[in-house]
Amino acid sequence: MGQIIDIWLSRPNLITFILIFLWGLYIMIAHHNLIKKLIGMYLVQTSVIFFFVTISAKSGATVPILFDDGAMQPVQYANPLPHVLMLTAIVVGVATLGVSLALVIAIYRQYQSLDEEEILSQRLE
Amino acid sequence: MTEQLPAIIFLVPFFAAVMMPMIGMKNQDWCRPVALTALAVMSVTSISMYAGIVSHGPISYAFSGWAPPIGIEWIADGLSGLLIMMVSLLAFVTVTFAGPATPAGIGGRIPYYYTLILLLISALSGIVMAGDLFNVFVFLEVASLASYALVGLSGGRALISAFRYLILGTLGAALYLLGVGYFYAVTGTLNMADVATHLPELLKSKAVMAGLIFMVLGLAIKMALVPLHGWLPDAYTDAPDSITPILAPLVTKVAVFALIRILFWALGAKTVIQDVPILLIVSWLGAIAAIVGAFLALSQTEIKRLFAYGGISHVGLILIGICLGNQTGFAGGVFYLINDAVMQAVLFFIAASVFYRHGIRTVTDLVHIRGQMPWTTAALVIVGLSMIGIPPTGGFFGKWYIILGALDAGNYVAVAAVLAATLLTLAYFVKIFEYVFFESTSVAKHPASEIPGPMKFSMGALSAAIIILGLVSDQVVTLILEHALPRGLIT
Repeated sequence: MGQIIDIWLSRPNLITFILIFLWGLYIMIAHHNLIKKLIGMYLVQTSVIFFFVTISAKSGATVPILFDDGAMQPVQYANPLPHVLMLTAIVVGVATLGVSLALVIAIYRQYQSLDEEEILSQRLE
Repeated sequence: MTEQLPAIIFLVPFFAAVMMPMIGMKNQDWCRPVALTALAVMSVTSISMYAGIVSHGPISYAFSGWAPPIGIEWIADGLSGLLIMMVSLLAFVTVTFAGPATPAGIGGRIPYYYTLILLLISALSGIVMAGDLFNVFVFLEVASLASYALVGLSGGRALISAFRYLILGTLGAALYLLGVGYFYAVTGTLNMADVATHLPELLKSKAVMAGLIFMVLGLAIKMALVPLHGWLPDAYTDAPDSITPILAPLVTKVAVFALIRILFWALGAKTVIQDVPILLIVSWLGAIAAIVGAFLALSQTEIKRLFAYGGISHVGLILIGICLGNQTGFAGGVFYLINDAVMQAVLFFIAASVFYRHGIRTVTDLVHIRGQMPWTTAALVIVGLSMIGIPPTGGFFGKWYIILGALDAGNYVAVAAVLAATLLTLAYFVKIFEYVFFESTSVAKHPASEIPGPMKFSMGALSAAIIILGLVSDQVVTLILEHALPRGLIT
């Protein structure tokens, strides 16, 4: 048991990732307010980005540029690929947030409310 | 030239989508011809590409000349060529259909409608051809964003459905991306073929299993696999009539295709059959989806909602076929996927037509189309026979090959699930037919009022396609067996 806790404590980033992910998921499920749901959704997306950055982080690494004199070793490079992937993922996340906020604005104009329960009760009428 | 075709197929609808708002600003009447031209060019190109693949073998497209696995690779092989052909032809026919019904359903947002449709089609072709796990994620998200916006385009009730679809879809995408992260952390590569070469020695790693579970879970949300189907019925019921026929056949089926690619190309047929029980799990989920979807369809009164549940059930059938782990089952599953896409399009054409002419939304009101809409009724009969699985329609032969594959694999649960789903499908179509043909309510006789030409053309073309797919099923399945099978699948 003590060993497992040690392993956990040596990876604070991954613990943080799990916490943010589950927290976001909880907000998405538990809250009735549509904007809060979006915040939860964004937390989930951000936690995945955080995960990618964590697995590619490296202390004391250098830029991934190959010099002609061959002085640099590939082992020392920080892997740029996950970071580039996450730039794309952030753009995707921003686009999703844009569409979702547009939807929320349209919902608010239609129902004059952002509370899911109230909207559903109006919709049933 | 031929090696550039995958990029051309993607770029034609993409550029048309980008141009569409500008064209719409100039003159809204030009949007439709431009969109149809783009889709026609895409269809012709994809047919010629498939002919090239069959005669010269698969095309691997390396972006900017960086050879895979370092560069980004697109694969156009026998399977993705077939799917691209399906996507582009169905998109062309559906946009043709939607013409007369479009303006009323979406409140005059014509340029945006065509922009989003074309963006959706180009993203779907991206998913189909992507040979790289991250690329699948990006195109999955582009396709999903276009579909959220399309579902919500008409405003009103659809907004809530679109919002729910968005929340769940984004969660699915985040889970999929997380799975990709696990795979990347373990294998150090994103190219599917490269992942397949590294995985066999890494199978003991728990990260591979976790990543696989996350990816399958994410895609299961996108393909509305029971019990993750919650978003689909609302979204498809509330979406405008000119949009459902394009979402229903393509979006979930292409997610199924992404799953096929990952299971059989990124993991490899040998791994999923011998080392990881993922095929078993997915086929069980498929069996549950086939039965539960059909069962829920039985109790629906709204036409579009009924058809949406029918679609959920058929996704399950496709998964059963694909996950049998032998060639017959795989070919049957892929053949059924193509059939199901055509059938879903016709089903939602019918739902759109009866509303367009008679304002009918519920199954009980279908009595009013008796003797009024001969074309629509004929299409309903053909698609009904195919959904149930009665020869000579395509649906019958798809199920036939799936059951043959299941018997080969000795998987009697799959056989039972297919048969049970067939019986339930029969039950809900009998309900529909009863209202159309037998229910003895006095119907006020209006003069026969059929749908406009373009709608008639699309519906007729796809109903004919269902029969033709049935008649040439042998040849299509042979094509799949010869060109579209993953390496290492047992006979």
